[in-house]
Amino acid sequence: MSHADLAAGKVTRMSLLFRIQHLLLTLLLTVLAVTGFALMYHENSLAQWIIRLEGGVHNRGIVHRIAAVLLMANLVYHVFYMLLSREGKPELRELFIVRQDIDDFFQSLRYNLGAAKEYPRFGKYGYKEKFQYWGASAGIVLISVTGIMLWAEEFSMVFFPKVVLDLAIVIHGYQGLLAFLILFLWHLYNVHLHPSVFPMNPSWITGKVSAEWMREEHPLEYEKLKGKGLL
Amino acid sequence: MKRMMRPILAAALAAAALFLTVPAGAAAPGVGECMDCHGDKTIEKTLANGQTLSLYVDLQAYRSSVHGGGSCVTCHASATAPHEKLKKVSCAKCHGDAEKSYAGSSHGKLRAKGITDVPGCDGCHGAHDIRKPKDPAARTFRLNIAATCLRCHKDRAIERKYDLPDEKVMAAYEESVHGMASKKSGLMGSAVCVDCHGNHTILPGDDPKSATHRQNIPTMCGKCHPGILEQYEKSVHGKGMRGGIAESPVCTDCHGEHTIAKVRDPSSSVSSRNIPKTCSGCHEREGISTRYALPKKRFSSYMDSFHGIAVEYGMTKAANCSSCHGVHDILPSSDPASTVHKANIPKTCGKCHPNAGPNFAKGDVHVEVSPKKAMGVFAVRLFYTLFISALVILFALHIGLELYGRWNRRRENGPGGKEGQS
Repeated sequence: MSHADLAAGKVTRMSLLFRIQHLLLTLLLTVLAVTGFALMYHENSLAQWIIRLEGGVHNRGIVHRIAAVLLMANLVYHVFYMLLSREGKPELRELFIVRQDIDDFFQSLRYNLGAAKEYPRFGKYGYKEKFQYWGASAGIVLISVTGIMLWAEEFSMVFFPKVVLDLAIVIHGYQGLLAFLILFLWHLYNVHLHPSVFPMNPSWITGKVSAEWMREEHPLEYEKLKGKGLL
Repeated sequence: MKRMMRPILAAALAAAALFLTVPAGAAAPGVGECMDCHGDKTIEKTLANGQTLSLYVDLQAYRSSVHGGGSCVTCHASATAPHEKLKKVSCAKCHGDAEKSYAGSSHGKLRAKGITDVPGCDGCHGAHDIRKPKDPAARTFRLNIAATCLRCHKDRAIERKYDLPDEKVMAAYEESVHGMASKKSGLMGSAVCVDCHGNHTILPGDDPKSATHRQNIPTMCGKCHPGILEQYEKSVHGKGMRGGIAESPVCTDCHGEHTIAKVRDPSSSVSSRNIPKTCSGCHEREGISTRYALPKKRFSSYMDSFHGIAVEYGMTKAANCSSCHGVHDILPSSDPASTVHKANIPKTCGKCHPNAGPNFAKGDVHVEVSPKKAMGVFAVRLFYTLFISALVILFALHIGLELYGRWNRRRENGPGGKEGQS
């Protein structure tokens, strides 16, 4: 954290490597959603238009698979980064779901209903961020596994009967829909429409947030940084 | 002995011919005498309706016709020189069999009623210029037949008068695989009108005696496609048809009639893109699937599969109905010889998926999502639908609650309160 940042009241929330991973994830998930839902809802006229735009059902598949391979590469890189790197290891610890998160969730409900005086005090990641992170991760793993099964259908069917592949198609599609809705409704609300960040939390581009926002939304992290003399 | 007889026989015949024509000599004119008048290109008469009819006879055409060796009076027996209106020529005198079968045809029956705009013998064969069907110049030469029939059958006035299929149906033949083969490629073996409809015995398709009646169609097409007919006879469709089930499909139900096209032609009713619709024409009909206890929803379950979607978007390599079920040899899945019998499924799938093993047969190919047919898929789909719906509702509630809480806090604290300071 540079002195200029400190003077301007800015704190780093996302390092460059995390921003690159995030940007890749954004782009690839968009491509996968557009190509995937076009196939899932192929009776729909908009879907048919999209498939034609993608150059037919064959090319659609190629685009979808290229994006999928890049996404999985991104995922594998992310796993290793979180497990092994100096920046990743403490970050992963911040993301563990602990008893406190459940308490925080109920306290925030009580507080919003007027039954509690104090709003929960979050660390770097509150229950909203943690739910988002683990939900999306689990979803992507499940989609990847079913996706590979369907891609290598002849190989999969050496081990699994056809009914399993029928299930894999349903899981792949609906899990995609689930991930899409979490990201579209939950994540975009939290980082764009939430009153504390509207119109946008800039950290996915600049990597930085204001120290004031940190104090308001993530007070425990704010105090930790202050305690380390980083603020 | 035989060799010696031949010239004698020929001489006797010649003498007989002379005897037959010459003795009437005084009354019967020779060809030359007839041509004195009929060789004049301007000779004509006015008919009752005011139209003029040319009476010119092209001697050259007559001489090179199949009857060119004879004389005018062979057919126009009552002719003298000069003469009034002659009696109608009767071909039956020599061509008795043809006349007899013609009399039973649509054309013949109408003609017998005195209707003159349906073809008699000359309508198709010509009059003075009749040639053998094998002669490329003949109206009845294989490659000329379509044009001969279409002279009337492309005429809208005639189509309307006799309630015939319109000119589009007729024109379709010329674009069909049979029409193109004869017209464009000049193939003698390709089907022309008479091969299906018959020639002298032509009858409408709804007459059981007609060659084009449903029950006669497989046999009729089998004249040229015997190998296919053999397969068809053994198939569930062929057995049904021969067993008297009239709605069991015959050739034309899948291939069309005048519109028959090659399988590779995208416009063909049996092209990979169109075949699901063609089969569904019967297999999606409630009456048929109930009557013969056939599985339902074959079309929708196929169109929802990878194969169906791929075919819909023009990937002709993807499996269509016939890729798995066969074509002319379709059998029910309960028959051990069927390509879709459980035991044969790995082999059938193996045509496209080289390593297909027994796992290909474990599960339905047409996945019909219902608790009875595919419980697993049904349950997973239901779970996700409920789970996603519940999650979206909870998201909305959480967001609403959070906004409500913040709004409350702000109101209590006022603009200068805790929020206002930040």
